[in-house]
Amino acid sequence: MDPVKYRNLFLEEATEHLAEMSRALLELEKDPRAREAIDLVFRMVHSLKGMGASLGYDAVSELSHRLEDRLGAWRARGGIDGPDGLPLLFRGLESLERMVAAVRASGGPPPPDPELLAALDAAPEPVAGGAPEPRDPEGLAAKKALARAR
Amino acid sequence: MASRILVADDARFMRQLIREIIEPEGFEVVGEAADGRAVVEEFSRLQPDVVTMDIVMPKRSGIDAVKEILALDPTAKIVMVSALGQEALVMEALQAGAADYVVKPFKPDAVVATLRKVIEKEQ
Repeated sequence: MDPVKYRNLFLEEATEHLAEMSRALLELEKDPRAREAIDLVFRMVHSLKGMGASLGYDAVSELSHRLEDRLGAWRARGGIDGPDGLPLLFRGLESLERMVAAVRASGGPPPPDPELLAALDAAPEPVAGGAPEPRDPEGLAAKKALARAR
Repeated sequence: MASRILVADDARFMRQLIREIIEPEGFEVVGEAADGRAVVEEFSRLQPDVVTMDIVMPKRSGIDAVKEILALDPTAKIVMVSALGQEALVMEALQAGAADYVVKPFKPDAVVATLRKVIEKEQ
């Protein structure tokens, strides 16, 4: 892999993704249940996670992974809920923008803000009237099933 | 004759990376698709030997695209391209009929070995 070529590809594509994410978050400000906007943000952070991991930008992939997990939970619940939901996503976006800017300027991202990671990790409040979903953050059940399938 | 591969991923970065991993190993990338609808269309048009399929894509998920392609051609060979944390989705894709999977970030040898394994199984 030519690192310069792929760094440039990352910068180009990540910048586009963050701009799309920003537009989608503005839409979610108006309607926190806008499914297409949630799906788009989910796809953008998923893509950033893959690119970041491929280039060894662990901070990008780690923050993107946490955002993806949190968005997955919101998606399952039908929308961004709670007073902290959208501010958390905006903080995630700003943090990713700073990381991409740092890659452009100095070749590598700064470490993610531990407080932001912890806030993203916090389990969503249970759905009213329903039992909370069992936590399996490592996907252990699925990993075991996958190992059996192969 | 080189095996013909269709690469589906919404990220140009990933499509380029897969192409650069597999082409020097004798595979021919006959087409690329950036979403789950385009990959079904490109599969019908190009009839590749193997499709590499990202799971998270716009318009239609990779899993839905697997189901549609296998409905068109039950012998189609599809390798899922997954990321950490997507084990349950990979399982769903395998149950839907995908042949195998590779995990991002790629280990080039693993990508090539998986494609060869899937193609050999076909022969």
